[in-house]
Amino acid sequence: MKQALYLSLIFGLVPLQLTGLNYVGIAGVRPDLTLMATFLIGFLGGEIEGLLMGVLLGCVQDLFSAGSLWVNLITKGMIGILAGLLGRHLANATPVTVCVFLFVLSVLFGSAAAVWIRVEDNFTGVPHMIQSVVLPQALFDATLGTAIYWLMPDRRRRESEFGDDLALFGR
Amino acid sequence: MLRALSGTTRLILLLLTLLLSVVFLLPKQTRAVLQAVGQPVSAVVFFPIEAWTTLEHSIIGLWQDYVALRHVREDNRLLRRDLELLQRQNSDLRESAIAAQRLAALLEFKEQFVPQTVAARVVGRDSTNWYSGVILNKGDRDGIRPEMGVMTSAGIVGRVVKTGPFSSIVLLVTDPHNAITGIIQRSRDEGIVEGTAQGKARIKYLPLLANIRAGDLVVTSGLTGGFPRGIVIGTVLTMQKEEGELFQSAEIAPQADLSKLEEVLVITVPRSLDAQPDAGGSKS
Repeated sequence: MKQALYLSLIFGLVPLQLTGLNYVGIAGVRPDLTLMATFLIGFLGGEIEGLLMGVLLGCVQDLFSAGSLWVNLITKGMIGILAGLLGRHLANATPVTVCVFLFVLSVLFGSAAAVWIRVEDNFTGVPHMIQSVVLPQALFDATLGTAIYWLMPDRRRRESEFGDDLALFGR
Repeated sequence: MLRALSGTTRLILLLLTLLLSVVFLLPKQTRAVLQAVGQPVSAVVFFPIEAWTTLEHSIIGLWQDYVALRHVREDNRLLRRDLELLQRQNSDLRESAIAAQRLAALLEFKEQFVPQTVAARVVGRDSTNWYSGVILNKGDRDGIRPEMGVMTSAGIVGRVVKTGPFSSIVLLVTDPHNAITGIIQRSRDEGIVEGTAQGKARIKYLPLLANIRAGDLVVTSGLTGGFPRGIVIGTVLTMQKEEGELFQSAEIAPQADLSKLEEVLVITVPRSLDAQPDAGGSKS
């Protein structure tokens, strides 16, 4: 079941990003579905799953982007690892913490990508890119990602597990 | 933090991190490998894109056809009137064209603007927010290669940067990573047209004494590969002349509406083959 879901994400998420999100974008900025998926997979499934899916989704995304063939592959892979480590070590995961982490990771990796993309032009236009692309996209990612997380059955199972654990400590 | 992981997990994590490091440190060397691996993947991923676009076009087409029917009688009357006017103009232009051909033959001026093109449909936008790009439904199999120019009837759109078996990616003229040589049509001053971070275009390296005005047309110079001479790029909006600079620049508005692209032409051969100068130097 999980494999089928992951396979459909690999072959279906980027087409959705390319076509379906044109109506969702605000001022040309669309949410990054692969970033959200990588984060949630890593957060709920662990760092290996996060890393693998991040690399695969990033690779497919790079194939349909005008940029280099490895930028998303690396950034999404790293987001997968970080999300896995966060998920493993965060005792009480709530939609609010997911929203904050998703926003922070999106801003961090978005800013890094903006700097990398403009490195040949002496970083001209980086502040404008951060203001007009990185921050709106991070807000989009955090909002939509949190909504998906909130609707996920895995999240409830995980929270109830942690809830039981925490009950031992008198919660 | 990593102490909690099992041995196998740690090994997999290490190997994958190593792989990512190699890709990060040797991007040029790994590009060929990634491209080879990516070709079949992009072919598979392209089918959902094509299916979605077909569905989207069908829905939009159905809606537009229905709405258009409400005003079709009035439109028809206006179009018939325009047609009569255009037929008269066409006749005059045909006469002028024949005269121009005769004079061109007389002057042995053989270069003509008849590029060979492949029509393609825009099926999506760039998968990231970082680049101004569009995805086309034609690729390697249709003879499309990187660096080929892309245009609409209105003007330049951009150039092809990546190709797959069934798709290709076009970097728009408004992207800062794009550069095309252009000339001001009126004054014949040459410069480089680049995109800006604000999503517009700018012509740079214009001579300081060049006489350029707002509203001037900027056309391709034909010096960079992919574009023939004389295709409209855009219109000059404002001039930028800074003190102490050796050149001036101008902000331009692209002629083609890049936010509503549906069909484009990919220029496979910038000039018609029969327009090439004769090797034997025969006169006609």
